[in-house]
Amino acid sequence: MADSISYFLMAWLDPSLLMLTAIGTLAGIYVGAIPGLSVTMATSILISFTFAWDVNDALALIVGIYTGGVYGGSRTAILLNIPGAPSSVATSFDGYPLAQQGEAGQAIGLSTVMSVIGGLLGTLVLASVAPYLSDMALQFAPRDYFLIAVLGLLLVGSLAAESLSRGIFAASLGAVIGLVGLDPVTADPRFTMGSMQLMGGIHYVVVMIGMFGVAEAFFQLHQLNVKPVRQNVDKIIPSLHLVLKFLPLSIRTSLIGVIVGALPGTGGDIASLFAYDHAKRSVKNPSKPFGQGAYEGLVAPETANNAAVGGAYVPMLTLGMPGDAVTAIIIGALVIHGLNPGPMLMIQTPHIFWFTVGNLALANIFLLIFGLTGIKVFAKVVELPKAILIPLILVLCVVGSYSLNSSMTEVYWMLGFGLLGYFMKIFRFQMGPVILGVILGPLMDETYRQAMSSVGDDSGAFLLALVTNPLSLILSMAVVLLLLSNTPLKAMLARRKTR
Amino acid sequence: MIKQLLTGLALSAGTLAAVSPAFADYPERNVEGVIQWGAGGATDNVARSLTPHVEEALGTSIVLNNRPGGTGVIGMNTVMQKPANGYTVLYGAENPQLYPIMGLADFDYSAMTPINVIGQGLVVIAAPADKDWQNFGDLLDYAHEHPGELRMGGTGAGGLPSTVLAMVNSVDSLDVRNVTFGGDGPGITAMLGGHIDFMPLSLAAAQQHIASGRLKGLAVLTKASIEELPDTPPITDALPQIESYLPWGPFWAVAVRKDTPEEIVATLSDAYRKGVAHEDFQRFLAENGGKALNLQGEEAEQFLERWQSVTAWALQKAGSAKVSPEEVGIPKP
Repeated sequence: MADSISYFLMAWLDPSLLMLTAIGTLAGIYVGAIPGLSVTMATSILISFTFAWDVNDALALIVGIYTGGVYGGSRTAILLNIPGAPSSVATSFDGYPLAQQGEAGQAIGLSTVMSVIGGLLGTLVLASVAPYLSDMALQFAPRDYFLIAVLGLLLVGSLAAESLSRGIFAASLGAVIGLVGLDPVTADPRFTMGSMQLMGGIHYVVVMIGMFGVAEAFFQLHQLNVKPVRQNVDKIIPSLHLVLKFLPLSIRTSLIGVIVGALPGTGGDIASLFAYDHAKRSVKNPSKPFGQGAYEGLVAPETANNAAVGGAYVPMLTLGMPGDAVTAIIIGALVIHGLNPGPMLMIQTPHIFWFTVGNLALANIFLLIFGLTGIKVFAKVVELPKAILIPLILVLCVVGSYSLNSSMTEVYWMLGFGLLGYFMKIFRFQMGPVILGVILGPLMDETYRQAMSSVGDDSGAFLLALVTNPLSLILSMAVVLLLLSNTPLKAMLARRKTR
Repeated sequence: MIKQLLTGLALSAGTLAAVSPAFADYPERNVEGVIQWGAGGATDNVARSLTPHVEEALGTSIVLNNRPGGTGVIGMNTVMQKPANGYTVLYGAENPQLYPIMGLADFDYSAMTPINVIGQGLVVIAAPADKDWQNFGDLLDYAHEHPGELRMGGTGAGGLPSTVLAMVNSVDSLDVRNVTFGGDGPGITAMLGGHIDFMPLSLAAAQQHIASGRLKGLAVLTKASIEELPDTPPITDALPQIESYLPWGPFWAVAVRKDTPEEIVATLSDAYRKGVAHEDFQRFLAENGGKALNLQGEEAEQFLERWQSVTAWALQKAGSAKVSPEEVGIPKP
């Protein structure tokens, strides 16, 4: 116990570790805010500088970058309708409308406080029940991941604002984009048109930068002469009353975040969409209608994606299995540092667990400090003349997609998706469902085939397993309920009851 | 304006002329290292642990870039598109040797000049600890009694598990359900949850889980038992006929474009030989379930050819090759 506390406090008491966590958090916020420079990329670039360092120093910096980076993506989502990372896509749904109403400052302030609450709750779950949570995550069979992917695709019902059919079209388009590349089972090329560059598939971040960044920039050209909204930046720190009001919701969405984050194979991007959907379903009287600047629509994804950070560390620290793309890179770095990330990590190097927990808590405190300072300047970005802002956005989009793989192929794809997204916007298609499809399509493809081959390609046995296993049964029931509540069936059933 | 442009052109032409014959001064700028697999994976870890020692010997920086995708085709293709001047090197794994027979690309390592075959990974067939089998023989017996029932974790066509399965099937019969995962990690996760029954894995990935007692090793793919897993018998105990394929395992190599000048190849080979031999890197390989090889020149080429011929024909015999090795000119072992 005394050991745990001293490991926990290591980063708090050592000035150089304290500094590194702070620097990491600050760097993470600003790199994460640049569309295309995702937290995964920030980690993999900065981590390569740490190979010659002491392990603790490297870990402290990485924890900071990770925490800051996940949060940073929300900045541009709110200010410019361009999510800095896939996990901030849901933040733009209500964040950007708030900025358009002159409340960018309040929106960033609220999202900062909520991110910290989510981050701290995620850390608390990691600290208290990590071994149990990882055992639970192991219970998820391929068929359960398949059901989660189905559940996720059904979110299209909440994401497609006005027209469900457009939403379904957009999600299907996304799923097809996600399937480009080598078939994971047979290694046959799919939709590659004989091009070697397409064998690796289309990176979903490329789609995101194109559809959200470039398409949005083009679209704003329509309003070149409209005077930007003046931002009210007097009251950026949310009142205690407001925070307390959202506390129950933020606890629920944090739990969603930490569980989805702890499942190897799903991360903050899916968690924040689930959380947004949960808020939309469970909050009866939002501050404003969802999609038009509801605070609840900001609180849910922001708590969930930061809680997912703690979640992603659960399988990493207990089993040596990555919870998401960032923890996969951290595991690689630990190997190079001569540690053995795996089930023996906590036995061979017992300090790592509590050191990381302490570090995460510390990074969240820095997040609160750095997140709440500088908002005034940041919020003014929206007031920049469009003639300056739009070229700036386009440059960032090109830099972001080029740096994904240091290749021009990604840039061309990004521009192509930008054009496609622009026309889709004109015809009132939502971009959210496309990203949903790109992320979940491949997950569904992979897990469905895993589930089928596990039962010897017997559809009967597959369907039976969906209802005989308790975990799968719960998920199947959730799928059925969601389907019913999204379709006219619900109204029909209700009518019958009243009769 | 035009004058400025012309001066610029003349200047750049001048630099070009000055640079081209100066191979003797190689390396006079940074070298780019292209890793054909993603960050955090085995190939990435090997490349990043080795490179600092090579930089020391080469006297310049090597900037590493991951270019993953398409089983490594994209990274290898990138290097093959760059000028043959030794400033772009490929950090690859064993996959290119199977591109022709899997129909992924019409090139393999023979289209490049190998600089170094760094080392080979050991392979272990692992199962959840709660299974009754003590060794691979028990598993084979069970599979013979219950054909088509066991769930094997795989990583797709041409991946390590499917190659091991093909080798076993070319001397015995092992009829299983092949469940495909994105890599060793997701496969192990599924095995820990009891969703698959066994999986051939790189020792690096499996070692810690076997040590923790959650997984058990049924066999190692060697002729004799190994230091790292003394309790796990060699696969030849259960399947003596498989010996002709051994030692077999995934490997890591560094290569440059075929028409790179000889002096540059010599400089690079020398630097990589020293880098691989460095005691820190040797320790890294040993701790991560690998065996150092450090082969250059002809030795490296022979290794690559033998590996390709053994593996390709085993896959062909088990019916897993999409293009016959004969058709693409791979000789029988």
